[in-house]
Amino acid sequence: MSEVSSNYFVAAASIAAKLDYATKVAQRLSLTASNARALTLRAGQSAAGFRPLTDAIHRLSDITVSSSKKINAIAAVLSRMAVEKYRSDSALKYFDAVYLQAQGSRHLDSLSDVYERTKLKQKELMTQYQQKIQQLTQELEAVEGELRSAVVLKVLCQIEASQAGATYQDALNNVAENVENIAETIKEQIVFSRQQVAILQ
Amino acid sequence: MKAEKLYENNDHTWIVFGRDEDKPDLIIDTNQYMVTSKKNSLLMDPGGVELFSAMLSAVIKEVPAQKITHLFASHQDPDIISSLGLWDLALTDATLHSPWLWEGYIRHFGMQHIEYEGIPDEGSRLTLDEVVLEFIPAHYLHSSGNFNVYDPKAKILMSGDIGAAMEEPDAPMFVEDFDAHIGKMKMFHQRWMPSNKAKNDWVRRVRQLDIEMMCPQHGRIFRGADVKRFLDWFENLEVGVLGGRR
Ligand SMILES: [Fe+2]
Ligand SMILES: [Fe+2]
Repeated sequence: MSEVSSNYFVAAASIAAKLDYATKVAQRLSLTASNARALTLRAGQSAAGFRPLTDAIHRLSDITVSSSKKINAIAAVLSRMAVEKYRSDSALKYFDAVYLQAQGSRHLDSLSDVYERTKLKQKELMTQYQQKIQQLTQELEAVEGELRSAVVLKVLCQIEASQAGATYQDALNNVAENVENIAETIKEQIVFSRQQVAILQ
Repeated sequence: MKAEKLYENNDHTWIVFGRDEDKPDLIIDTNQYMVTSKKNSLLMDPGGVELFSAMLSAVIKEVPAQKITHLFASHQDPDIISSLGLWDLALTDATLHSPWLWEGYIRHFGMQHIEYEGIPDEGSRLTLDEVVLEFIPAHYLHSSGNFNVYDPKAKILMSGDIGAAMEEPDAPMFVEDFDAHIGKMKMFHQRWMPSNKAKNDWVRRVRQLDIEMMCPQHGRIFRGADVKRFLDWFENLEVGVLGGRR
């Protein structure tokens, strides 16, 4: 799903889908960290500098997993709200048409209560909807910020790998690559989701 | 909304969606099905308006929205297709396949962009890339204009309301004990299905199909020998019986 879709139901649903995927990818990061940890234990003194880095990878994984889940939940709420908003928007459109068509009718006034109530509901929904979007934007920005540390982590991993003995060098370099690739994949989901947020507004 | 893959080969997959945890209590639980071929997806009995956002979110985890080019509504009921007005906004280029008989009624759910392709009484076929699906007549079971979808390659029959059961919201997806399952199906079939003649004719035709899975719109999926067990049970059931009254 590369192109940005033009409809807000689809936009909210596809953010949820992207973040669902991001959660799975982030879980792989945790696996990478555990493997790296096992590797440094085997490598002993020669990879001592690598060990604290595995903690950092774990931390990055935990943060991305938990915020992906959070964003996913927000997107699910938004997609329900988008439908509700559509329903109250179109109810008002229908009421407006009635006011035109039934001009001069004896009981037209009897509609005004419902009309006002629907209008109020729509306004409330709009406010809640905007708040949710803001919350979503903040969460997306937060994950993106965390993911920036992945680049540094990768470089640090590479430096430590180059100081480890030849036996473990390749495996440790591989960890570095993994961290970068996984972070990149998650970032793609976030960037796509931020584009979709623009449609929701 | 849970999603479970029922079938997969190199040219297409079947997925069932259902058992939605967030479903409002008083609406009947439904199963939605999707066939995806190389470039297209068909969504079958996409469900009611209350389920729409859960459904769209679940579907989009599997395929992009633009890939959903076909919808199928076995008949006109609200639990089948009252979400149409919303799909109409979400899908850019789609065709709805549904009994010709119901076109004027189904359009009341709101349909401005989606195209209506009426299925003739005798049934028809739909080709999705390399996959051929058959619309099998199932009139009066229960609706007077009603179809099943048969996939000869996957050996799956999507049977709509036939085989439906009233289940707990978290019931397993498959029938495990047929005899125990009867109690959940009996009233549904007796009360909603009006015609023994139509039922027996359907059983006779469906017996000739090679079926590994029979997938109803409510309740659980029948596999292997349970398909034949269902056909035998249904053939012997007296339908058009007033029951289940409040
Ligand atoms: Fe029905
Ligand atoms: Fe139904």
